[in-house]
Amino acid sequence: MRVALLFVVIGLLAACSVERTPLVATDVSISKPIPGMQMTAAYFTLTNNTTQTIKITRATSPDFESVEMHETVLEDGMTRMYALGDLTILAGATVIFEPGGKHLMLIRPITDVDSVTLEFYAGKAVILTVAVPYKE
Amino acid sequence: MGPRSIFIAVVAVLAIATGTWLSYQLMSPPPTPQTATMLPAPAELAEFSLVDHNGKTIGPEVFAGHWSLVFFGFTHCPDICPLTMQVLADAKTQLAALDQDPLPRIVLVSVDPERDTPEIMSQYVGYFGNGNLGITGELEEVRKLTNSLGIFFEKSSTDGDDYSVDHSAVVLVMNPSGMFHALFGAPHEAGNFVHDLPIIMASQ
Repeated sequence: MRVALLFVVIGLLAACSVERTPLVATDVSISKPIPGMQMTAAYFTLTNNTTQTIKITRATSPDFESVEMHETVLEDGMTRMYALGDLTILAGATVIFEPGGKHLMLIRPITDVDSVTLEFYAGKAVILTVAVPYKE
Repeated sequence: MGPRSIFIAVVAVLAIATGTWLSYQLMSPPPTPQTATMLPAPAELAEFSLVDHNGKTIGPEVFAGHWSLVFFGFTHCPDICPLTMQVLADAKTQLAALDQDPLPRIVLVSVDPERDTPEIMSQYVGYFGNGNLGITGELEEVRKLTNSLGIFFEKSSTDGDDYSVDHSAVVLVMNPSGMFHALFGAPHEAGNFVHDLPIIMASQ
């Protein structure tokens, strides 16, 4: 009995020691494009679980012709949209993409599916792939 | 104390209470909007010739007969425009639940008439509820309307082939006389409209 318990404890410790995914997306929210419209926005929270800075250089989706990283800014009563360029996430830091702020602009859907796949690149490598159903 | 004395005392108390209530009503200021700004005097709109989401030619008279919440945006806007339209739709739903009568009409004036055809506007404004109005047309005519209201917009490029349009973020309130009556500054929340709109409507 004691031996069995020891194995369980060792197993749990081993599971805890598994390295976490470097970049994690949570609270992902994407509405289906409004009927007749050619675009929508993706919102989420990105967390860098590493001890190194992560620089996201672009995002793509097999479900949309084009994906752009943007930020909506309210300046002097005007709402403006800027291209984000590279997105730097410091070690252990979190960046929030939310309505009225940073967002991914998903342009011209090329599939008629109920979920969307997003791929985040750090240089030439895909650092994170996320697949989520459209928001109800 | 006889019945006559009791009667006189009751009448006296009622008279004092009525007087106090009347003076309070007369002296207390009317409720004022918390977030909206009311114009000192409603302003007439400039002449313009545009089309609604059904393709019908319209002018300033299109605003007459309704309280309208007017937003200036465009359908290729993925973030702030649908967000604002949804806020206005939510506010209208909440006002309906409070038995507000009349309810405001939601109006979207396109600042990207090059891409926003009446057909696209129809699909777009219809998505946010019944009774909404979409306005588009020739760019010069849109500018006649926006310039007279202090609304600004200009094309801007992003990092792709598509362009965006920077634009004023305010929501204007038009009164049933078809005049510019009040405005809500951004950022917008449904609760602000639910609180202030009945006060604005009662002010006319």
